[in-house]
Amino acid sequence: MITLTHFLVVGACIFAIGLYAVIARRNAILVLVGIELMINAAILNLVAFGRYDSTRYGGQAFALFAIVLAAAGVAVALAIILNVYKHYKTINPEDINKLRD
Amino acid sequence: MNSMLPDITEKLDHILSGLPALTPELVLIAAFIASILTGLFVDRLWRHSTFFITVIGMALSALYSGFLLYEPNADGVLFGMVATDAFGQYMRILIALVCMLFVLFVNASPDFRVHRKKTADLYSILIAVQIGLNLMTLATNWLMTFVAIEMVSIGSYLMVGYLAKEARQTEAAMKYVLFGAVCSAVMLYGMSLLYGLTGNLDYTSAQHIQGLNDASPLLVTLALLFVFTGIGFKLTFVPFHFWTPDVYQGAPTPVTAFLSTAPKIAGIALLAHILYAWPEDSFAYQNLRLMLVAAAAVTMLWGNLAALRQTDVKRMMAYSSIGHTGFLMMAVLAYSAQDYTVLLYYLAVYSLMNMGVFMLTGYIESRTGAVNVAQYHGLGKSMPLAMICFTLIMISLTGIPPTSGFVAKLLVFTAVFHDWQATGEIGMVVLLIIGALTTVISLFFYFKIPLHAFLKTAEKEPEMKPLRYSILWLAVLLTVVIWILGIFPNWLVG
Repeated sequence: MITLTHFLVVGACIFAIGLYAVIARRNAILVLVGIELMINAAILNLVAFGRYDSTRYGGQAFALFAIVLAAAGVAVALAIILNVYKHYKTINPEDINKLRD
Repeated sequence: MNSMLPDITEKLDHILSGLPALTPELVLIAAFIASILTGLFVDRLWRHSTFFITVIGMALSALYSGFLLYEPNADGVLFGMVATDAFGQYMRILIALVCMLFVLFVNASPDFRVHRKKTADLYSILIAVQIGLNLMTLATNWLMTFVAIEMVSIGSYLMVGYLAKEARQTEAAMKYVLFGAVCSAVMLYGMSLLYGLTGNLDYTSAQHIQGLNDASPLLVTLALLFVFTGIGFKLTFVPFHFWTPDVYQGAPTPVTAFLSTAPKIAGIALLAHILYAWPEDSFAYQNLRLMLVAAAAVTMLWGNLAALRQTDVKRMMAYSSIGHTGFLMMAVLAYSAQDYTVLLYYLAVYSLMNMGVFMLTGYIESRTGAVNVAQYHGLGKSMPLAMICFTLIMISLTGIPPTSGFVAKLLVFTAVFHDWQATGEIGMVVLLIIGALTTVISLFFYFKIPLHAFLKTAEKEPEMKPLRYSILWLAVLLTVVIWILGIFPNWLVG
């Protein structure tokens, strides 16, 4: 029997993996992958909780919006990273540091 | 499937009945579609068509928001996802005003005018962002809040990276998009937790408040912290401010002016909505209030102290705007349910001042290429009008009488003092003391600019590039408005 707890634990694990990918920041694309994992952890949570909200389906509706907005965000981020690559010839966030105190 | 049909008719009727309360947004949607079409087809015949469509759309949306002030508040618009109260109407008008100033600024900015991508797309993005900003000020539902914040964020990323003329601009855009996406992902996770704890997405509903009271305090605190990561990113309060100096310095100056004003207006409105949706004795409210008091105190100190050692003017203004965020948060904490005039006055004056400063920075940068205070030497002599306006706005930003910056700070301090007398909350006294202290600190960095421009002489005369004076006249107009609002604050407060 798969209960709500199982979903939440899997969601928390995915969120933690995503957060690690973001903090390690080896490569801008990998950071984006990490962000996508974090968003998907939240979507999993929303759908799992939505099962207990059968009158309004708030969680499922929220999940759909979140998926669309995540895709839009990634499209913009990839376009910007492409522009960065044209100027710097690298996408390692550590090496892109002309703006600093 | 057939059993759903009567329900759908009912729901559609409900949505349609709520639409009149959203007329400003509908106007903007029409303007958005029109601006795409004119950008594609009409701009070739008449260069300014998209510009005029945008300005007219924004003016109409402000006008309709004004009309809605005289209408009774509509209840339960879009199934209670938005609340259209008078506060929201004033905020919409203010946002429309700031967006129009931004459009005028872009239109006069040489960087944008000569750019190969033209400005039509930028105007379309801006209108979409304005819809998001309006929804942010009205939202009473986590789903609506998330959609609105993402609309604003994605549009802002595009605006920062729009020119991509030099390496720094792309770097600023990348830092902004990565930091912003992480914050919104964390916020989404927090919202999913809040949804799980309460079973309801509408944060003003009784079920949501009840759910927050019943849940374990640790979980509620964690979920609220997650949600406020996203809101903190939009408002740039410490500790979510890291992106601010880099992005403000790297972005094209008109975009910096926009980022430092409009999203903050909407973010503050959202913060006030969330904070005052919950009853004062609930755990969530007290918890949130404690977090915000701490964040406001640290934000004021950090912003103003870090600004002291900056030499790049835009970077300095970034820290100054962080400091002002702390002030705005203090105003939100002190504002009591119906009395939002203080908050509104501060937001209006702050937006005008920041717009004015960035217009002058942009003007000086396009004419002489000066971005650093050291390069401002002797500019008082070569461009007297610009530097006099700059000094006058700096006086207002510091908060010296008789400017509107002074009146705004005075109103906030009075509200905080009254709040402390009424509740005896020790945090408010701490905020009051820090607010007064940072006002003095801010004097030292704001006056760096007149000091360098007027009292130091340049080694060699800077080369002046020819430029139309339109931005300068706009900045002069804003300076006059700022001073008039300081001498006659009743015009706005009344």
